[in-house]
Amino acid sequence: MSDTKAETAYKSLSSILTNTPPSSQNPASSLLYDPEISSQVSALLRHPNSGAGDDNLCRWLYDTFQSSDPQLQLVVVRFLPIIAGVYLSRVTLRKPLAGFEAVLLALYSHETTSRKGQSLTVNVPDLSHPSIYHESKASSKNNATDLNLAVISPSLEPHGTVRSTRRARIVGVALELYYSKIPQMPVGSKIEFCEFCQAWAGQDGDMRKDGNGGDEAINQKVGISKEGRIPLPWELLQPVLRILGHCLLGSNKKNRELYEAACCASRSLYARSLHDINPNAILATGSLVRLAKMGLDSQNDQVDHTEVPWTRVISL
Amino acid sequence: MADSGEYEGDDGGSVRELCVNGACMKAAEVEAKLDEGNIQEAESSLREGLSLNFEEARALLGRLEYQRGNVEGALRVFDGIDLHAAIQRLQPSFSEKSASKKCRSRSDSHVSVSQHAASLVLEAIYLKAKSLQKLGRLTEAANECKSVLDAVERIFQQGIPDAQVDNRLQETVSRAVELLPELWKQVGCDHDALAAYRRAVLSQWNLDNECCARIQKRFAVFLLHSGVEAGPPSLGSQVEGSYAPKNNLEEAILLLLILMKKYHLGKIKWDPAVMEHLTYALSLCSQTSILAKQLEEIMPGVFLRSDRWNALALCYSAIGQNDAALNLLRKSLHKHERPHDLMALLLAAKICSEDCHLAAEGIQYARTALSNAQGKDEHLKGVGLRMLGLCLGRHAKVSSSDYERSRLQSEALKSLDGASTFENNNADLFFDLGVHYAEQRNLSTALRYAKQYIDATGGSVLKGWKLLALVLSAQQRFSEAEVVTDAALDETTKWEQGPILRLKAKLKIAQALPMDAIETYRYLLALVQAQRKSFGPLRCLSQIEDDKVNEFQVWHGLANLYSGLSHWKDVAICMGKARELKAYSAEMLHTEGVMHEGCGQTHEALRAYINALLIEPSYVPCKVLVGSLFSKLGPKALPVARSLLSDALRIEPTNRKAWYYLGLVHKDDGRIADAADCFQAASMLEESDPIESFSSIA
Repeated sequence: MSDTKAETAYKSLSSILTNTPPSSQNPASSLLYDPEISSQVSALLRHPNSGAGDDNLCRWLYDTFQSSDPQLQLVVVRFLPIIAGVYLSRVTLRKPLAGFEAVLLALYSHETTSRKGQSLTVNVPDLSHPSIYHESKASSKNNATDLNLAVISPSLEPHGTVRSTRRARIVGVALELYYSKIPQMPVGSKIEFCEFCQAWAGQDGDMRKDGNGGDEAINQKVGISKEGRIPLPWELLQPVLRILGHCLLGSNKKNRELYEAACCASRSLYARSLHDINPNAILATGSLVRLAKMGLDSQNDQVDHTEVPWTRVISL
Repeated sequence: MADSGEYEGDDGGSVRELCVNGACMKAAEVEAKLDEGNIQEAESSLREGLSLNFEEARALLGRLEYQRGNVEGALRVFDGIDLHAAIQRLQPSFSEKSASKKCRSRSDSHVSVSQHAASLVLEAIYLKAKSLQKLGRLTEAANECKSVLDAVERIFQQGIPDAQVDNRLQETVSRAVELLPELWKQVGCDHDALAAYRRAVLSQWNLDNECCARIQKRFAVFLLHSGVEAGPPSLGSQVEGSYAPKNNLEEAILLLLILMKKYHLGKIKWDPAVMEHLTYALSLCSQTSILAKQLEEIMPGVFLRSDRWNALALCYSAIGQNDAALNLLRKSLHKHERPHDLMALLLAAKICSEDCHLAAEGIQYARTALSNAQGKDEHLKGVGLRMLGLCLGRHAKVSSSDYERSRLQSEALKSLDGASTFENNNADLFFDLGVHYAEQRNLSTALRYAKQYIDATGGSVLKGWKLLALVLSAQQRFSEAEVVTDAALDETTKWEQGPILRLKAKLKIAQALPMDAIETYRYLLALVQAQRKSFGPLRCLSQIEDDKVNEFQVWHGLANLYSGLSHWKDVAICMGKARELKAYSAEMLHTEGVMHEGCGQTHEALRAYINALLIEPSYVPCKVLVGSLFSKLGPKALPVARSLLSDALRIEPTNRKAWYYLGLVHKDDGRIADAADCFQAASMLEESDPIESFSSIA
């Protein structure tokens, strides 16, 4: 059943792309991971006139997401960084963007339904009560009262259109959905996300100090920074920082390119937080920047505690 | 005996020895046989030379191969031992099991024998896992490593007895516990890694503090950043009455807090990364008060104290405790600490810019920041200028003289304009410029910035729409202002529409359309009802303050509307409703006074105004009206009226009513020229009077 859905999706995408990809044994996986398809879709999404109401690709993304096939939905989520990135940077230009908005609203309403509109909360533990990981003498009086309840994503109400004051929230919730699928996302998608973080920050961090990346790279960066700077309210910045944390410190450290993109994005967002003098953001981005630096510093001199020590005399 | 070898010179691996039971063999002899590919011979020479059994000899050989870096050879040696059969032999029989349940310590000799044998076998399996890891055969490595742990659990069903444990056995177990999750991570099996971490931290492995801390930290990092949702730990591991985390963030924060506590108790070394991860996690949850508590508990000497003060200031400022934050910043910016720290200077300036009594202090911080924004920090120059402008503007509000005020205001504008050359894409700056120009009644420039702000934010911020509507209303372009409010209503959801709707009602009043205004207020009241229904009547105080549709302000607005129409009965009803929500408020007493005055009850009116001033001594509208009442009480009261009105103008120089009544006072006193000046000011201001004060937005 879902195979035929995937095949249909694959075929209809082929008719939109300029270079028709060869037919695939596993269309759902090709759509998600094939670099040729991704780069073509990315190029179309970044086209100056993309995202309008009659944009075929946006319609395809919308339909594919509505197919309610989890595997195909991942394909749409995979392109969220570009959709959100281009959309938010272009909002101020007063261009028609109904196509992008339809996709974003579809992601938003998916998340609203799966969460039943409920908020996401975190009970920050208090160590004076025992937990599964530690013991404590001041034992169980009424331990529910002393917990600090933090709302990390408020409750969701349905939206049929993107009202501008709700725009950041809608994109933020779509990014929360992205974060929940992030282990399945291809590296390319995460790198695109980091690049847009830099553009959104509109600040090139302290890149010049490092001296890596020649003049060209800096110029390019400045080019982005003038175009892409957007307001970064917490409802948008918070999910951004969660994703960025994964890109920087998740288990994908093997990928050099992603790691470096995440480092740059962290520095940019830290610089931006300083420009906004936003204490919460300064704390969060500052810790990411310092953790990235610690990671680089300790790369060479890390002791492997799982190694058996070398001894001159071997005994039993 | 084993130690003695380690002190003999340091010329690499050439003189290594194999020592068991006092007998020694040169490693080179055995290695030569191994290099010929003859494992059996090497093995038998070991068995003879050191009187070992087959398994012991193999284990020794494997270790030798592993240690000289020949992991493939090590694997070949280990493959020759049936390790799993060996484990089977080591497991306690059923009778022992039941016995051990009753009586925890078995006979010493039995424990030591089985521990030694177990150590031998387990180390062999562990080295096999390490060899496989080095060959990149990660899944096999993980499975071998896991079998070490499985075996330990089967052999020592009561947990490893920590009092009498064999050192080497414990080392192997600790290493295996630590290695397993890392192997699964390298394989890319996040769920297996998760299970391995849980097993590591929840079971009794008798790990030493540092090893346990390393695992807990890596687990916390994995929970925070792997993106794999762990779900709550199994019920089996939960103890009645103890806290069990429900999601990744909770579990990660719990582990990090435990690590901090272990450090405080002196059990482990300080690890700066733990604090950074905790900072990240808690600031994402906006729980910086807990972070502040952690920072305060850290012993002196870990952090540079100015760093700690700055971090604490950020924590307190993030939860709105700006007084505490500023006090900390004052300490860290002291001349003997770090007076040039840009982040601290900018944060201090920002906090000061929000309070007119601190603004003068803020000006100093901003100036210092400005002169230190150099080199790689040059990009912060614009921020420094912006803060300087905001502090100057705020300070102007409490300046003692007109001259001083206008000097500060023009300096403020100069700074903000200067900032815009550095920050030409900073939307917030457009807003600041818009408000400042509007307050100085430079309405066309204010209008330009208000529009720019809406463009730059894509209309996503409510205060932008409000500013635009107010500037248009000040230009007396009411119908255009209404178009703006309608556009803003389109862009907001109903709970956020309160402030815009109130603005719209006032625009209707300004256009002499009271019935339309009443209609708008009626809609607002319906919203209040709906809000109460959907959020329930039981709400704590902070939520009432957060309410999007503020019921008090609706009733107050309606009361003012009826008062303008001289419908005094309706005014009284609305005031009653408003008073139920907020018993003491200067605004409400102001309306009450106006009502009494309208009914000719001058004394009651005066009482209401004076009560309002007791609540809020600088409440300008009441000052003006008290002044006007005094001016009607005859020539003796004129000086009082004059000083009251002058005082009102000192606080709010653009209050047209104050100018008007001051003009009347001058006229009654016979100072016609002064009166004319005042009337002229009043009339000019009337042409540029917004329907609500500009300072109400920011």
